[in-house]
Amino acid sequence: MAESKKHKQRIGLVLSAVPGYSETFFRNKIVGLQEHGFEVVLFVTDGPASKQAVLDCQVISGPHFKGSVLKVFVISIFVLIKAVLWAPVKSFRHIQFDRADGFSVIQSLKRLTQNAFLFYKHLDWLHFGFGMLAVGRENVAQAIQARMAVSFRGFDLYLSPLKHFNCYKLLYKKSVCYHVLSKAMKQDLILKGIGEQNIKVISPAIDVSFFKTDVNQFEKSLDYSVKILTVARLHWIKGLEYTLEALAELKRAGIPFHYTLIGTGEERERLVFAAHQLDVLDSVTFTGRLEQDIIREKLTAADIYLQYSIQEGFGNAVLEAQAMGLLCVVSDAEGLQENVLQGQTGWVVPKRQPKLLAAQIMGLMKLPDSEKAVIKQQAITRVQREFHLAKQRHEFVAFYKL
Amino acid sequence: MLKRPLKIAIYSGEIPSTTFIERLIRGVANSGTEVVLFGALYKKPTYGPRVKVVGYRHNQLSKFWHLLRFSILLALFKRQEKKRLDTWLKETHRTTLYDKVKYYPVLWYQPDVFHIQWAKGLDDWIWVQDFNMKLVLSLRGAHINYSPIADEELAKMYQQYFSKVDGFHAVSKAIGVEAQKYGAVAARIHTIYSGLDLSSMSSPQLKPKNKVFQLISVGRPHWIKGYTYALDACKLLKDAGFDFEYTIVGGADAIEYQYQVHDLGLEDQVHLLGQQDFETVQTLIQEADLLLLPSIEEGIANVVLEAMALGILVLSTDCGGMDEVISPDINGFLVPIRDAQAMADTILHIQKLPDSTCLEIRERAQAKIGEQHTEVQMVAGMQALYSSVISNNR
Repeated sequence: MAESKKHKQRIGLVLSAVPGYSETFFRNKIVGLQEHGFEVVLFVTDGPASKQAVLDCQVISGPHFKGSVLKVFVISIFVLIKAVLWAPVKSFRHIQFDRADGFSVIQSLKRLTQNAFLFYKHLDWLHFGFGMLAVGRENVAQAIQARMAVSFRGFDLYLSPLKHFNCYKLLYKKSVCYHVLSKAMKQDLILKGIGEQNIKVISPAIDVSFFKTDVNQFEKSLDYSVKILTVARLHWIKGLEYTLEALAELKRAGIPFHYTLIGTGEERERLVFAAHQLDVLDSVTFTGRLEQDIIREKLTAADIYLQYSIQEGFGNAVLEAQAMGLLCVVSDAEGLQENVLQGQTGWVVPKRQPKLLAAQIMGLMKLPDSEKAVIKQQAITRVQREFHLAKQRHEFVAFYKL
Repeated sequence: MLKRPLKIAIYSGEIPSTTFIERLIRGVANSGTEVVLFGALYKKPTYGPRVKVVGYRHNQLSKFWHLLRFSILLALFKRQEKKRLDTWLKETHRTTLYDKVKYYPVLWYQPDVFHIQWAKGLDDWIWVQDFNMKLVLSLRGAHINYSPIADEELAKMYQQYFSKVDGFHAVSKAIGVEAQKYGAVAARIHTIYSGLDLSSMSSPQLKPKNKVFQLISVGRPHWIKGYTYALDACKLLKDAGFDFEYTIVGGADAIEYQYQVHDLGLEDQVHLLGQQDFETVQTLIQEADLLLLPSIEEGIANVVLEAMALGILVLSTDCGGMDEVISPDINGFLVPIRDAQAMADTILHIQKLPDSTCLEIRERAQAKIGEQHTEVQMVAGMQALYSSVISNNR
């Protein structure tokens, strides 16, 4: 701690909204930085700063350009005047850098109105919590003479560029320190021309004191109806339709099971209908969203955890399941291969191949209990050693000392 | 028989409606029946004199004028009926002004038959039966096939009201059977197939397959269309060394498909296009070797009917009423739903067929549409349905 007293750095963290209680990642990061003597200012691009007290850090909200044309115009003029009066040098630099990047005067002024709320604090670092939040704000850090950091979480690295073609083209030209969740993501960024030294892998972490198991997990035998569990948003990236197809294979093979799917999302109808058509609806429970303590209860009662995602940055829920001593089977999507080590802490199956997933589940069910216990123990040990919150906090502190 | 022509309300909530509902409206009106259209007016349509449009624009002023006009008419000339409807609205907690904008015009015009196009709105219109209007419901796709599976409340509503409906228009026999699970009375279900305008239909000609085999699908990017299975099948085809291209018209904006194409390395084979106008779609279909319908559920897919009418080979999943139009290996091809391997295998099989065999299948496909899916048949079927609900209850 003595070191932090020498130089107290201020970090501006840009998020779309104040993180909720369940968003361990950012909450842990903020608390960890504060404990290490950093000052954190949270900038939110959407929504009011209502949860300020909960986080014990200053929260600054961006302006809302919503409503009638007149209202938006008045807000824009107000924001511009404020920027010019209160931060003239930063505003000038921002326009200058934007112009150098080929933006027209009008575009530069528009970008200035959107970004000026980030100018009013002296910052050592400006850290964008998601890649897409840095789009349109590529020159802010340079304008305020802070260092720039960007976190990629999976969805924003892999899917956003499909929706917004070339959206990171300008960002990748800038001097940025990137934080990613897995080595796979790091490799993908390197392929896009980012220098290796500018990319830091900081894995997600879980509260291992909350997600811990008792010895009974090791005495569980799978000779009864096997209880399978997944915690996931009901979204296509989670590969849940493929998961249900694998379960249909289990049913055809005469293996009794019950599958519990915890989570909510826009594709519930698609998945319920898939379960119906695949004739496994009677063996599937869609619980909707559950609180952490209930999830822990469900994990305690389950035997096998599946995360057969199509795309996954890393997958916190798999860490929690491993910590709880479940047998985990995951797809080979991006970070999942690092989350679960094939044959050591669980099993990794190529994605989009439900027959292979079913075969893997059937295969692990046939393993002797002693072998299953070894895998479980290795998973628990690894998660407790490598994916705990304190480690993540230290890594973030080190990140800003790069 | 009634002396005056029947007055039929064809209700989808929107004016104009989808292509097929518009075709139904014009067909019914042209056969001498008076048609009334209620709902939100998005574009002033040009119907003949037998179609009465009672629509409102989506703005406050238009809705207010609509409400004022019909409130006054009802208060002056149908006071008792208005009172009864108001009581029902109150009892069922439909108390907003918009509810009155929606219901008052129907009570004023009181058609002989109120024909709802979408089942999810059935509980909104069950009251018309208390005012001597017969209630007819079209059984179409999503509303019957999958929505009530995931939505228990909707299933309960169907269970409560389907038995009360005077007549059903089923777009396929299969969907009629599905509706019976919710209490629809079998005898009241009329299977009336969608009809096409076949006036410009020309006989298929012998044509060699494209050097690079051309597959095409047309449809909105919705999970029910099963495109993820088609793309998985494409991966199998690529792995088998098959030289092909697959175009999904309407799939351009779906990140799920874009990601899958990227994930499976199909960038050179798969083209995701945005929505195209009718003529462009027809041209694209005609240039293809095979139209693929990978859906996991359907009523009867209109795009398949259109492709068969154009004399194009069709490979469809065996879902809903698709087997009522496609006889495998006779006039098209069927594969099980959710089975990428079967889809890929069948595509390879089709590609190997001699062009003369393909021509025979294409000719029989077109003949099937001529037998079963003409506009004349559709309108006659609908007239018979309307007559039956009137005569059964008089």
